[in-house]
Amino acid sequence: MVRAALQPHSGAIGRGPRSSVRIVPAISVVAGSLCALLPIVSSAGWAPDIGFLMLIGWRLLRADAWPAWWAAPLGLANDLIVGTPVGQSVALWTAVMLFLDLADRRTMWRDYWLEWLLAAVLIVVNGAFDWRVAAWSGARVSFAAMVPAILVSIVAFPLAGGIVYRLDRWRLGR
Amino acid sequence: MAVAPTAGSRPGWSRRAQYSLFFSLLATIAGVVVGLILLALSLVAPRSYAAVRGAALDATAPVTAGLRAVTSTVGGLVSGATDYWDAARQNGDLKRLNQKLLQRMVEAKAIQLENGQLKAALQLRERSRDAVATGRIVGSSYESPRRFAVLSAGSGDGVQIGMPVRSAAGLIGRVMDTGRFASRVLLISDRANIVPARLLRGGLPVISTGRGDGTLDVRPLEVGRNPFKPGDLIITSGTGGLYPPLVPVARIVKLDDDGAVALPLADPANVSFALVERPFEPLAEEAPPPPPAPPPPKHKPKLVKS
Repeated sequence: MVRAALQPHSGAIGRGPRSSVRIVPAISVVAGSLCALLPIVSSAGWAPDIGFLMLIGWRLLRADAWPAWWAAPLGLANDLIVGTPVGQSVALWTAVMLFLDLADRRTMWRDYWLEWLLAAVLIVVNGAFDWRVAAWSGARVSFAAMVPAILVSIVAFPLAGGIVYRLDRWRLGR
Repeated sequence: MAVAPTAGSRPGWSRRAQYSLFFSLLATIAGVVVGLILLALSLVAPRSYAAVRGAALDATAPVTAGLRAVTSTVGGLVSGATDYWDAARQNGDLKRLNQKLLQRMVEAKAIQLENGQLKAALQLRERSRDAVATGRIVGSSYESPRRFAVLSAGSGDGVQIGMPVRSAAGLIGRVMDTGRFASRVLLISDRANIVPARLLRGGLPVISTGRGDGTLDVRPLEVGRNPFKPGDLIITSGTGGLYPPLVPVARIVKLDDDGAVALPLADPANVSFALVERPFEPLAEEAPPPPPAPPPPKHKPKLVKS
């Protein structure tokens, strides 16, 4: 048995959740959205929607990272920062919260593969919605043009998940 | 902070906890509905959020511009170093090129002089084509299927929605959103940007549409034999009154069955300065009904023989 009190520089005494424990998840999602401001001038869209990856990363790690309706203001911030039509992320992100509440009831067990599969499904849905909204606003690109971004997002999800896990340990003071 | 067992399950016997969960569910559903309404509004009336989008652009563009300055400085150092590496050969090439360009310049000056005389003779009045503002391309929508770029000039510099944006190399696009200090440009490679153009060789009218991946889809207006050859240049025609005529647009790289794929001549990533101009015919900003036929001229302009 490890006695925390007997170890030199560790132990749980004096450690605990940080004062910012409730807003760290939301801040990290906004920080993900802010990645769209990097000065990358690209002739094609290939990068993952990092705000969205952080959002589903948090929600898959914890059901209580934030009250589900917080997804609406977070989506609005994403729309304004990234420049997508206002309302696109608001609708999709809150719908994702509802979907994952349902998924929580239906799934008997969870492991990394199932989480990655759920994330992949959500990423494809996000890409398809993005594509649909672009078509509604007059830009009918072929769906094949979306495939690289979707694949990059699916591969990048474990990275976002890792960042979320570290942040979660940090905010809870563990 | 305790971890809830699973979301949505009954949180015990506490009425308060049950109500709070129920409120959260209702609020989330309301979030979806509000989001869909906002989205519908921004699709039906794209300018309804112009003010708030402009403000967001103002708040975020300085970050991008600052980071862009850093990356271009680093990039400039690297490419500057490689230029020194290869200086002797480059020097020779440039001297030869310089000779050729000097010859061309003399020819062009002669043509310009002649053109000026002819125009003066015809008493043509040209609208001045001064740039409204100049800015730098600092960022782009690299996370999206749409092709937007962020320009470091806004309504404070006189930029308005709908103005065409070009660089020395060619056409870049048109302004979509404006903030005070920054604006968002719809690039010509976006699917929703249609440029009336013509083939430089022969002047055949064509239509250029973005493909969303940095290339353009070029089709002739008249159905028939495919008129394109790889390497052909496309320039704007001025039809429609938004884009000024005679601005280089793209170079044909590949033919397909009834059109061609072209590469824009102005690469937004390498444009040092972008010029914002007034719409070629200002009426084009709001897509007006076609103008009435002009009255017949009272007297013909006199041709002065020189």
